This record gives sequence, structure tokens and C-alpha cells, in this order.
Amino acid sequence: MWRNPRLAMLRQAVVLAVLLTLWEMAGRAHLLNPLYMPSPSQIAAALGDLFGSGRIWPHLEATFAAALGGLAIGIVVGIVLGVAAALLPFLAELIEPVMTVLNAIPRVVLAPLFVIWMGVGLASKVALSFILVAVLIFFTVFGGIRQVDRRLVERIVTLGGTRWSLVRHVYLPSVAAWVLGSLKVAVGFAFTGAVVGEFVAASRGLGYLMSFAQSTFNCALMFAVIFLILVVVLVIFAAAGRLEKYLLRWS
Amino acid sequence: MEDGRFVSLVGPSGSGKSSLLRAVIGLQRPLAGIVESGLAPSDIGILFQDDALLPWKMARDNVALGLTFQGMDRRHALERADIWLDRLGLGGLGGRYPRHLSGGQRKRVALAQVLALTPKLLLMDEPFASLDAIVRARIIQEVAALVERERISVLLVTHDLEEAISLSDTVYLLSRGPRARIMRDYEVPIPRPRDPVRARMHPAFAPLYDNLWSDLSREVGGAPEAEAAA
Repeated sequence: MWRNPRLAMLRQAVVLAVLLTLWEMAGRAHLLNPLYMPSPSQIAAALGDLFGSGRIWPHLEATFAAALGGLAIGIVVGIVLGVAAALLPFLAELIEPVMTVLNAIPRVVLAPLFVIWMGVGLASKVALSFILVAVLIFFTVFGGIRQVDRRLVERIVTLGGTRWSLVRHVYLPSVAAWVLGSLKVAVGFAFTGAVVGEFVAASRGLGYLMSFAQSTFNCALMFAVIFLILVVVLVIFAAAGRLEKYLLRWS
Repeated sequence: MEDGRFVSLVGPSGSGKSSLLRAVIGLQRPLAGIVESGLAPSDIGILFQDDALLPWKMARDNVALGLTFQGMDRRHALERADIWLDRLGLGGLGGRYPRHLSGGQRKRVALAQVLALTPKLLLMDEPFASLDAIVRARIIQEVAALVERERISVLLVTHDLEEAISLSDTVYLLSRGPRARIMRDYEVPIPRPRDPVRARMHPAFAPLYDNLWSDLSREVGGAPEAEAAA
């Protein structure tokens, strides 16, 4: 059992269970200060309370709305700007430096600015998610179109294809492939944007819940929310991975 | 060039063999002079060294592509595609993506893609260079038989003198570029129809090969090793 590579998951689960048990035992033996390091059972209780009381739903809803909204708008705008810049050189001259600067800075520093501009509501979180995703997608598409396989283009032309055939059979599928290829990263970015935005200033959302836990020194709640964000992002990652695998089944 | 003729262009690297093909098909403008083929663009097919199939389309969709560009509806185009895949020994593989085909199979799909358009003239630019020896010999045999049966004229660009001689009616030797020109032409006296693998055993083959080889070596710069380096 210790060498079979197919049992790797089992081994990982066993080690995790052992660590959690040790952690729990240390907590019960008062070796850990519950103020800083609550035990797994306390964290589970906090989680259970969040769901049991139904308090969690508006927060989950807010974070999902912000992340998915920013993701959708970011992908669309990123594709449009990327395609436009790749096809129109004068536009690339204007857009590319801006995007390069935006790409170089940690874009979450814009969060407080967005709160001032758009208030503590959903809009400022969507904006932060959006800016994180759009820059990523822009570079994916912009770089991708300029690297489209010349041989495919020539092939379509020699088979008698028109400009529209090129767009339909070469450019669009290429763009779709690149965007799907960075979808997982984009999903991660979108949730980062939403949670950080909520952390800075909000009245709802998982990020707000963390900021609340911090100001009330509620470490069990903090861990519970971290755990929740982890699960949410992993689930979305898996969904994005499935989608990618299905749509890119040719690769 | 008469119907059904098979001619080859050989020459040192940089003599503009590929550029010539690209000019014929209109992918590249000739620096000087004009290209006269007397054929509509749709009558000319070209096969490159890379198979360049669309990776996101199944084999049969790749083959049907050119037909739909010519205005055939998708259903008929796919039927034609299946027929051509069958003819090239790929029956049943139409539903595979290029990634799931071997190099030889991909080459056959690319060939089906071009031949499905029933060209009168087929241009080939080092089409078999990337294949291993056995697959290559088999495909060359089949291509020879197909173009013979369909009476397609072929213009083949190659580095491989054996390939050129065993397939062609005439082999043209280009001089070294820039400003390359046709140095000489060699009629291949081996009768057609012929099997390109067996053609190498024909008594006329060896002397012709020797002839071409020494002319080419001289053109490349004297030493026969230079060709290997080129």
C-alpha cells in the first residue's frame, strides 16, 4: 500500500486524518490557545453554525455574484480588446502599454479606489474581479492571435477559404482554445478580486465575513471562511477543468 | 505541361523551389516575371511538408472543408470526405481528431483534403520528408497510382533525387540561388504506369541518378559533402 502509485490519494487522506487528529488532540489537551488556533472541531462548529442558521447564504451569493459577474465581463472585454489590438496595430499601440502597466502592478491595490468610486456595494467588487480577469484574458488573446499557426492560415487559403472562413475555422477556435486554457487561472483571479474587494469594504460576502472575524478576533470563524473559500474555488476549478477537457477534447 | 505529367524540381537549398510553388498557388508574389498556369485557382491543389490539419476538427471535417468552401453543402461534403478517406485507406478513422492519428495517417488525410477538390494540377513541397521510410514508400506508391488514375499533373519539389526520378517524367535541376534558374532537365525513360519503388530497379535509374547527382554536387559547390550540409 505504501508504494502503489494508485493508492496515493488514500495515503494523502490518511496523513491528513492523522494531522487533523493530532491538531484536535493538542487543542483538547490545552496545548493550543483557542483564541489563535481553534481546533478542527471548533472550526467545524463555526461552519455548522454558518450553514445551520442560514447566515452564510447572502454572503455566498454576494461573493459568487461579484466573482462570476467580473469573470464574465472580464472575459468578454479581454477577448474584444485582445482581438481588436491584434488586428488593428494603431489600437495595439494605445492599449498594450496600459495593459502592460496593469499587468505589472498587483491589481488588487485598486480595491480601495474602486470602493471610493463605486461605493461599498457589489459594483466595486465586480470591478476588481473584472480588472484582474480582463488583463489576463487580453494578453492571452492578443499574444495568441499574433502566434496563430501560419500553416493553418495558408492551408485554409489554398483550399479556397475566404477571410470569413479564416475567422471561423482558424481564429475563433484558436481564441476559444487560449481562453479556455486560462479559464482556471481566470476563475481564481475572479474570486480573489471578489474576496479582496469585500475585505476592503463591504456589508456582505465571504471577504466581509473574514474582515468581521478579524475585527472580532473570531479565529474559528476565520478558519471556517478560509475553508469555505477553498472549497468553493476547488469546486469551480473542477467545473472549469471539466469544461476545458470537454471543449478541448481534440487537443 | 501536359495533362497527367509528373515533373520534379530539385536543386540546392535556397534555389527558390518552394517560393516557386508558393507563387504558382498565389501565396507569394513573384519578385519578377509572371506565373502562367492557365488554370483556375480551384484547379490547383497543394500539399506542404506539414500536414497542417485543423486540430479542432475531425479527419472527415478537415477533408470536407475545401468542398464546403466551393459551396457544397455540409452533408454532401462529408459524404465525399468519407469516400476519399476510404480511398486513402482511412475508412473508419474519419471521426478521429488529428492528434489521434499517426504521422502517416495525417499525411493521408491532408492528401484526401487536396484530392477531394479534384485538382488538375497538384503541387507538392517536400510532402513526404517527415515520414519514416516504410510509411513514406507506401504513401508514395499510392500517390503515384492515384494521380495516374485521376490524370492529375504533378509538380513536386524535393531534395530527394531518388524520389524525384522514381516518380517523374521530367526532373528539372535548379541552379543555386539567388537568381536561380533551370540548369538542366532530365527525361526519365522509365515507362508509366510504374511502381515508384520498383522503378529504382530499372536499368535507366542508376545512370540517371549518377548524372543528376554529379550535376547537383557541382552546383552546390564541388564537394559532395556540401549537399549533406545543405
